[in-house]
Amino acid sequence: MSALLDVQHVCKTFTRGGVFPSRRIHAVNDVSFRIEAEKPEIFTIIGESGSGKTTLARMILNIEPPTSGALLFDGIDLATVQSSADRMAFMHKVQPIFQNPFEAFNPLKRLDRYLFITRRRFLAAGDDADIDIAVDDALRRVGLSLKEVRHRYPHELSGGQLQRVAIARALLSNPRLIVADEPVSMVDASLRMSIVNLFKTLRDDLGISIVYVTHDLATAYYISDRIIVMQKGNVVESGEARAVLNAPQHPYSRQLRAAVLLPEVAAAAAPATTSS
Amino acid sequence: MTAAAISVATLQPDSAGPMLSVGNLRAYFRTDHFGVHRTVRAVDGISFDVRRGEIYGLAGESSSGKTTLVKTIAGAIKPPLEVVGGTAEFTFLPGYDGLHRAPAAELARIRWRHLSYIMQGSMNVLNPVRRLRHSFVDFARPHMAGTETEFEQAVIDHLARVNLDASVLTAYPHELSGGMRQRVTIALATICRPDFIIADEPTTALDVIVQKDVLGMIRGIQREIGSSVLFVTHDMGVHAYLTDRLGIMYAGRLIEEATTAEIFRAPLHPYTRHLIASLPRIGDDAQRKGLEGAPPNLADPPPGCRFHPRCPLAMEVCSRSVPAMIETAPGRRVACFAVNGTKQP
Amino acid sequence: MLGILRDLLRYNAEFRIGTVLVGFVLLLSVLSGFSPYPPQDVYVVPPDVPPSPAYWFGTTSRGQDVFWQLTFAIRNTLLFGCTVALISRILALVIGLVSGYKGGWIDRVLMSINDTFIVIPLLPILVLFYFVMRDSMSWLMLALIMACLGWAYDARLIRSVAMSLKNREFTQSSVFSGMSTREILVQEHLPYVMPIVFSTTMNNMIWSIGLEVTLAVLGFTDINTPTIGGMIYWANQHTAMVAGVWWWIAFPTIAVVMTFIGLFLLAVSMNEYIDPRSRLSRMGRVTS
Repeated sequence: MSALLDVQHVCKTFTRGGVFPSRRIHAVNDVSFRIEAEKPEIFTIIGESGSGKTTLARMILNIEPPTSGALLFDGIDLATVQSSADRMAFMHKVQPIFQNPFEAFNPLKRLDRYLFITRRRFLAAGDDADIDIAVDDALRRVGLSLKEVRHRYPHELSGGQLQRVAIARALLSNPRLIVADEPVSMVDASLRMSIVNLFKTLRDDLGISIVYVTHDLATAYYISDRIIVMQKGNVVESGEARAVLNAPQHPYSRQLRAAVLLPEVAAAAAPATTSS
Repeated sequence: MTAAAISVATLQPDSAGPMLSVGNLRAYFRTDHFGVHRTVRAVDGISFDVRRGEIYGLAGESSSGKTTLVKTIAGAIKPPLEVVGGTAEFTFLPGYDGLHRAPAAELARIRWRHLSYIMQGSMNVLNPVRRLRHSFVDFARPHMAGTETEFEQAVIDHLARVNLDASVLTAYPHELSGGMRQRVTIALATICRPDFIIADEPTTALDVIVQKDVLGMIRGIQREIGSSVLFVTHDMGVHAYLTDRLGIMYAGRLIEEATTAEIFRAPLHPYTRHLIASLPRIGDDAQRKGLEGAPPNLADPPPGCRFHPRCPLAMEVCSRSVPAMIETAPGRRVACFAVNGTKQP
Repeated sequence: MLGILRDLLRYNAEFRIGTVLVGFVLLLSVLSGFSPYPPQDVYVVPPDVPPSPAYWFGTTSRGQDVFWQLTFAIRNTLLFGCTVALISRILALVIGLVSGYKGGWIDRVLMSINDTFIVIPLLPILVLFYFVMRDSMSWLMLALIMACLGWAYDARLIRSVAMSLKNREFTQSSVFSGMSTREILVQEHLPYVMPIVFSTTMNNMIWSIGLEVTLAVLGFTDINTPTIGGMIYWANQHTAMVAGVWWWIAFPTIAVVMTFIGLFLLAVSMNEYIDPRSRLSRMGRVTS
């Protein structure tokens, strides 16, 4: 089984202080995992702020280089991806979804522009009609259509819709891996599930693996196949998602699990209502 | 010397009525210049009461108008936001129909002693170039009688209630973690034992573990002081954990109100039902769905009930008239034609 | 667009006054096209005549009509300012955007060059250029030299905006959409930077005109092409103040002061308009 993504003992250290570094921050400390190519899955990285999960996601996307260790995508070491042709080939296969849907697109520019450019740059040229059809296809997959999105600016759509446009954009290059960094944390709760369900569809129907970075255990439970829990740069627990979340072993994972607030009123904790 | 020894002159509020009474409040953003002509009806006819000593939760998603509502109640109104009608009156400041009409002298009298406001991003409210002690002196000292030493001791005692050490006073804000800063802000907001606390998403930016701690502290202090709290957040889990009664807002209007337990056990309004049904839970493998469509644009809201374009129970009357908040059971109100029929309030 | 201008004129006193002043100055420079006297000619009218119905601004000791001379002078001075501003904006934009976006060693090298240019003392260098080049120093040459000296401050400003834009998520979206660096800088970042460029243009014009006037008064430029500074230079050569020919110095000075104040007020009001918060607070004062 060949690996789609192979993270090998990756470390990332930030030094502060310019010429004479005074503080070293170990953002990511010896993280390793593999996502197999033949079996698309949703691989979740759980952590709070400062856990290093975003830094790890950025390294997978080749936005930051690791301080040590290697990241291999489809057998190619990301450190060797230098020329613009190499980078385009990489981005063809790996696409990001970011946290803030309102910032994912330039507020001063129209949305459809990004969709058309992505399609043009990554896939074989076609005439305008073909490109329109391809973009419309991608938008329909996420529950929108080209008619709704054409000529619109980001501020005209809701957070949920914008995030779906972002996913459509990512789909237009036919990627094998999508790295989603907190994709639903800034989306309204009522719209969240349609996006989370969409990730499931991408894995099942299109065979795209997804690295899902989040702090929200509930949505992680809902869609993940495998999960790793990070604390201050270290992986403290990993395994099959349902198993880890239903019965966490490590004290930190237990603490996390216990801190999740259920959307129901527990009888014991219900405070006595005051009468007026 | 305990905090109790410090005399805090309080106006004894009228013990029968609610602490806060909001009546048909309407506040719009009016823009009429520089090529833009638009009225955003952010708060469009909201009425509710917050009783003595209860934690009242306001739930709603983006563009529900809840932050605008809270700002209006607290009197923090700046153009282009203006109050178009209605009242938002506290018992300790009667006669002005709301803080936005009260003179500055009255506002100075009630702020911090009767009303305190924990804002979104509170941890950034502390002056970054001054030690925390100065923040306490600036905010709280004017409202508390007694000597300097007595004040200092009161502050230390109060900080202990939020599990903070006295050493925090000599620190700068950036030396503390986000959770600690939030606890300092809560201590600041409660040290004068106000009658009413407005909290606008105070735990949103905090980690899950810290959030639970901080919420517990808010509840603890609230029980001890006996303040009323208006707690605004979009996070339904937080409401379930903390609040006594819950009001659900959608597109500038209040659509359901009941005790928190009731709302989660048996929601009535289609929006509330869908919202609660869509929340995922650990250990629960059931399929969940998101709501169709998107929240309406408040500059151009749909006529009649603002939820009707997305509502599975929408009827013909829903697109024509605005459903009124009707009391379906004691302490329960819903604004929905499908639930209430065509009953009049 | 027109609606915005109309509202700006109505509610923003600084914009109103600035527009009037700059409009008046522009009118003067346009009138140069109607001048009955070629600008370089001397002794075409009786010299030293005070302002009168026949000669509105009086005449100079060299026998030139001050009014028509002034139209040419202000036209040339404005053109000079515009040329310097244009060329130095382009330099500042290119260097600032590339430096801010690329970072790393490119940024360090460009900023070292930038800081060198900031530190260079301008007046001695310009005087040196004049002495080296003498007669071949036309005002176009001077404009080019000043443009090369005047981009440094604003390049840093643009660089800091570019750096903050680089960190915004839409830049990454553009990268992953397959856009090249040039496309990102021009299509995504430039619209954010333009308002700053616009307001610094006015400052740059004020600076370059001021410097040119200084040089011309001292005689370190091509004094045959009429400019504001040139007029003052000739006035000094003929000891106009002592001789009582005050109108020769007064009117050019008033004209250039009007230009400065007008440009400054426009810059200030445009700045206020561009920042949405200050725009809203001004509107609020109007409606409440």
